[in-house]
Amino acid sequence: MDTTVLLDILQRYVFNVANLQGMLRLSTPIVLAGLCALITSRAGILNIAGEGMILFGAWFAVAGSYFAENALVGVAAAMLSGAVIGGLFALFSLRFRAHIIIMGIAINIFANAATIFLTRAVFKQAGAFAAPRIQGLNPIALPIIKDIPILGEVLSGYSLIVYLTWILVALTTLFLYRTPWGLHLRAVGENPQAAETLGINVPRIRFAAVMASGVYASLAGVYLSLGHLKMYTDQMAAGRGYIGMAVNTFGGGEPIGVFLASTLFGLVDTIGWRLQGERIMPVYFISMLPYVATLVALTVFTLRQQRAKRAALANNAEEE
Amino acid sequence: MAIAVEMRGIRKEFPGVVANDDVDFAVEEGEIHALVGENGAGKTTLMNVLYGLYHAEAGTIKIRGQPVQIRKNSDAISLGIGMVHQSFKLVSSFTVAENITLGAESRTGIFLDRKTIHDNVVEISERFGLKVDPDARIQDLPVGVQQRVEILKTLYRNADILVLDEPTAVLTPQETRELFGVIRSLVHEGKTVVFITHKLREVMEISDRVTVMRDGKMVGTKVTKDTSPRELARMMVGREVLLRVKKDKAKTGDIVLRLENLKVRDDRDLMAIRGISLEVRAGEILGVAGVEGNGQRELVDAIVGLRPVVAGSVHISGEAVTTLPVRGRRETGMSCVPEDRYVRGLALPATVEENLIVTGYHKAPMSRAGLLNSKEISNYANEAIKTFDVRTTGKDVPASTLSGGNLQKVVLARELSTHPDLLIAAQPTRGLDIGSIEFVHQRIVDARDRGTAVLLVSAELEEVMSLSDRIAVLYEGEIVGTIDAGKATEDGLGLGMAGITDEDEPEAKEAGHD
Repeated sequence: MDTTVLLDILQRYVFNVANLQGMLRLSTPIVLAGLCALITSRAGILNIAGEGMILFGAWFAVAGSYFAENALVGVAAAMLSGAVIGGLFALFSLRFRAHIIIMGIAINIFANAATIFLTRAVFKQAGAFAAPRIQGLNPIALPIIKDIPILGEVLSGYSLIVYLTWILVALTTLFLYRTPWGLHLRAVGENPQAAETLGINVPRIRFAAVMASGVYASLAGVYLSLGHLKMYTDQMAAGRGYIGMAVNTFGGGEPIGVFLASTLFGLVDTIGWRLQGERIMPVYFISMLPYVATLVALTVFTLRQQRAKRAALANNAEEE
Repeated sequence: MAIAVEMRGIRKEFPGVVANDDVDFAVEEGEIHALVGENGAGKTTLMNVLYGLYHAEAGTIKIRGQPVQIRKNSDAISLGIGMVHQSFKLVSSFTVAENITLGAESRTGIFLDRKTIHDNVVEISERFGLKVDPDARIQDLPVGVQQRVEILKTLYRNADILVLDEPTAVLTPQETRELFGVIRSLVHEGKTVVFITHKLREVMEISDRVTVMRDGKMVGTKVTKDTSPRELARMMVGREVLLRVKKDKAKTGDIVLRLENLKVRDDRDLMAIRGISLEVRAGEILGVAGVEGNGQRELVDAIVGLRPVVAGSVHISGEAVTTLPVRGRRETGMSCVPEDRYVRGLALPATVEENLIVTGYHKAPMSRAGLLNSKEISNYANEAIKTFDVRTTGKDVPASTLSGGNLQKVVLARELSTHPDLLIAAQPTRGLDIGSIEFVHQRIVDARDRGTAVLLVSAELEEVMSLSDRIAVLYEGEIVGTIDAGKATEDGLGLGMAGITDEDEPEAKEAGHD
């Protein structure tokens, strides 16, 4: 294969405006799922319930939007559901000491079944629910930015939830590093005894972190059901809760790291969609790509981290 | 003198134990008050009650004469009580300043006021003469400095009653002296210090008064200059104790353990043992002194066979065992009292009997044709329990029901009843009380007198000095000197442990045996 063909393929399938747009769009729910994992892991909690929280968020967003015929009511309903599910998760795992992994699995299974049941019971539908009454989140053109060539195309024209996600990445960073509560949260995550002996209320901070994670996850759900399609489909979270945990690790537990890691997954996802249209390879193979990317990225990352750690330690030893 | 702390009738129960039973404890303002007692005597429990980490079932507390209710530890903090725990409570990725001010940070609006935080820490560290770099990360600091940060944490919260829980356990003799200087200057500034320890020498050196606890009860309070270590030891244990092991001059035999230019890596893959050669002869105790983390663990692991050797060799009784697995080495007559009896020394959920036979169950007479001989085993277990005076309700109870001292007796019984040629004893008395320490020391000396070669690795300088016939000082994976125990001084060893070797001073390398 000569290089011009390769470049042509790269441009067609990888580097073009449409792909960059797709990347930012598809990375949005992953960023939010990543922040959901981040806020709990930084508080020292292994929260695997992100998947279920996303599913509830998606369902309640559609339900809220359907009944109120207002997308923002959908967003509010979803966030409320996230806080409630997060609160329940925290109540059982932190207060009543249920095993946190088992509890997380329980939430995920429960979310799966409950949303199927609710779709049947409330909307008399099975598998999926779409209706004209459901209001979606419309694309917003950013003033000024939209007129910049190329950049305007890439950065403008997304729905509210995409911009909100970008803002949340910044706000979460500010929260973690610039506010006393962020400092406390990180202390609780790293050395809860230290925090406790200084009079910091460890259970309360962890409870709040789990509730916040529910809200982040529910917004990922909102994106899935209202940000793009205006419909609810069973199991539409499709593993994003778990990919969120991966991008949190991959991103080193930092909000900006989560964002960058997510865009990588968004890009893989986008390329996958493009390739599906081209019928170059089997569809099933292509839809496997994001998950393969997760595995590869985590493996590479872990190996590199280990090597870096070893090198740093060796350096220290030499300095001594 | 005004009374700073007055605790009356404190009772604290844990499931199955009364940790504090009707305890009265009073500290005068401006004094250094030592609180001593064996492990499990209830010292730390009592202080945790004062600091609000535990809730007493009964009793009253007065601070500076005022009756108070301490429900949580923020109550104690606001009453001016500060506590430095035995294991530090620091967030290692945070800076010194962040750790000191955590939970009581200066703010501007909703944000942290980093400049004020920094300045406050500088101010307080200068005021009390405790030098620290506010921007250094805890993980990069030596233990002595971390402890300073812990003390500053309490001072930042305006503590004037400081409780230090076994503060010298992790320090070198030099760092300990420095700490004592700090404590004296704090008292000079009008602070009151409660000092928990089980080292009587420190009590005599630093304290004004001393209170002794035993089995959760208060035994009595003495003015330090009117008492003696001997009297304090008797109060702690409830009987006369030998503070120093009685032993005759070593009658040494052939070389049993020989290490040749041994190199070993640690868990982080760094060179932890950087070329050690040493010999231990039959009938002698070679003590390895050193501050923890200088390669002791890796040295023991490599000799026992739990860690691969990078270079060099291990010989037991003339046989090269470097590539043998643990059991192969044990077959040559090696036994080991591991550093952590709870993790490596014993299987806590297993019974006392099972723990006793775990090194010999696969051989006759304990098993035949792959089946365990339960009669032989129970005879053996009962015999071992009797000889080593293990206080247990029976051989079939889980090891976890035994106290620390009795657990160590089980380990010793298992490791010594085979009459090994070589005994590796790693921190054999860590966490034990005076009574049990005496027992363990006596057993180790007995083994030596029967002709066992003993390699003793211990962070307790006193233990190394009183037990060993020769002492090797380990610093950063190398032996910086080997010296006859009779010629060793605490200062000399302490300097070696800190890596300071005086080249002019003749080192009595490989001396001590005929």
